[in-house]
Amino acid sequence: MKPKSIILPKDEIPRKWYNILADIKMNPPLGPDGNPVSPDMLAPVFPMNLIEQEVSSERWIEIPDPVLDVLSIWRPAPLTRATAFEKALGTPAKIYYKNEGMSPPGSHKPNTAVPQAYYNKVFGIENITTETGAGQWGSALSFACSQYGLTCKVFMVRISFDQKPYRKSMMQAWGGKCIASPSNETKAGRDALAKDPNTPGSLGIAISEAVEAAVGDTSGKTRYSLGSVLNHVMLHQTIIGLEAKRQLEIAGEYPDIVIGCAGGGSNFAGLAFPFVLDKINGKAIDIYPVEPKACPSMTRAPFAYDHGDTAGYTPLLPMHSLGHNFVPAPIHAGGLRYHGMAPTVSQLINEGLISPKSVGQMESYKAGVLWARTEGFIPAPETNNALAQVVAEAEKAKQEGKEKTIVFTFSGHGLLDLGAYEKYFAGELSDFSLADADIEESTKILENYPKPENIKSV
Amino acid sequence: MKPERLERRCPRLGGDVSFAYCCTCEADKRPCFKVLDCWWERFDVVTYMKARLSPEAFEKLSARRPPPNKVASLVDLIRQAQERTSTD
Repeated sequence: MKPKSIILPKDEIPRKWYNILADIKMNPPLGPDGNPVSPDMLAPVFPMNLIEQEVSSERWIEIPDPVLDVLSIWRPAPLTRATAFEKALGTPAKIYYKNEGMSPPGSHKPNTAVPQAYYNKVFGIENITTETGAGQWGSALSFACSQYGLTCKVFMVRISFDQKPYRKSMMQAWGGKCIASPSNETKAGRDALAKDPNTPGSLGIAISEAVEAAVGDTSGKTRYSLGSVLNHVMLHQTIIGLEAKRQLEIAGEYPDIVIGCAGGGSNFAGLAFPFVLDKINGKAIDIYPVEPKACPSMTRAPFAYDHGDTAGYTPLLPMHSLGHNFVPAPIHAGGLRYHGMAPTVSQLINEGLISPKSVGQMESYKAGVLWARTEGFIPAPETNNALAQVVAEAEKAKQEGKEKTIVFTFSGHGLLDLGAYEKYFAGELSDFSLADADIEESTKILENYPKPENIKSV
Repeated sequence: MKPERLERRCPRLGGDVSFAYCCTCEADKRPCFKVLDCWWERFDVVTYMKARLSPEAFEKLSARRPPPNKVASLVDLIRQAQERTSTD
């Protein structure tokens, strides 16, 4: 038997996260008054130690031992060579993947849930609130809170709560309190119930409830937690790429191509940012965040200030955006439907340090099914987007006759999302792609907004 | 089949919902801001919504469509929550 995986010894787990804000210059988020949003505006929902990380420009930030103790339940995560997948594709490319589906909740999300719970704990916080749709983030945060003795209250949209009782059970198993939203626990929830006692709820109400539950605790012992997009979330995820670099070193390899699916950007950032540092320092490497072709926020959108909300009253953030009135075509890709990418990822695209790619829905599921039938693991729908790009690069290597080394993040398993596969097998999914004219039309709204300074960090 | 009974996977929630849910799931039973995006491939949802909403409500729906970015709206959510809890 030839070993497929490179297992990093426990004592070689990275001791520091990599903070990309040390190496790139960023346009600040702007408030409704046009002035930069100050960090203390987030103090009602985040502990100050996390806010400090959010704005830190220190390159390396130490990972506390109590965080490593918990991460070591599944980390270092294996770096595995996908030999059966390579064989099925008939490619000379060497394909490696970081398996983030090995975590207790089955995705990369606890990489930030664990440190967020820890920093809340040492700040004196006793309770954390959040919202969840399908329950993946709620599960990850419940797991993390259980490790540090914090209570975790998860507002789960009523309709999902009723449809997916096993999600509630997962959270309960980790000590989380999963509450159907709207609930009687908040004014936002009570107001919604007063209007309609039988309402199935919505994500908007659930978010409002979670934030209110944190802000409204006058003891100051409750905060809110978010699992994507923010700088400190990206920071925590870099343990993926830092491990991968060491594992590739052990294998005597260095990647030609790094790939990750990108929705809010955190799992992509986790693998890619440590390699971006190498690229800044002169390494020749291609780095591809991958998004659905039908809903491009990176591949064909301009870099501009845009509102993060639809009404246009929230802060202006520099991001790749299709405009806040953009209507993407329908697609089944879980979390990959933000119209604005994480600001750090947008900035790297703008500087040409990473090159976004887009893939069709059908090629994504086709790649995912091939993966399941070769490497065994059933990928999450968004992971399939990365896999489709891996296939494209592997086929390109075959055509060119080049033995390229490709590394990508297997961001999570799809065992809790088999309904999407069921529709794929039933022939109920199809591809949609925006015409250039549609893109031009949807971004016209940005014409009158201030343009971010086109900063170059290197 | 009546459109209200059609079902599809909701990209925001990660589970199946009926079109009827999409038509009423927001505050004050307003339709989800993504309803046109999600259903246009299945039937003429634009005509359907135009026929059932006031011109003002349809204009608001068609001008207010993308998924909200949680991060950028956080500051505003805090402000709203502070207002609610101070008057509760």
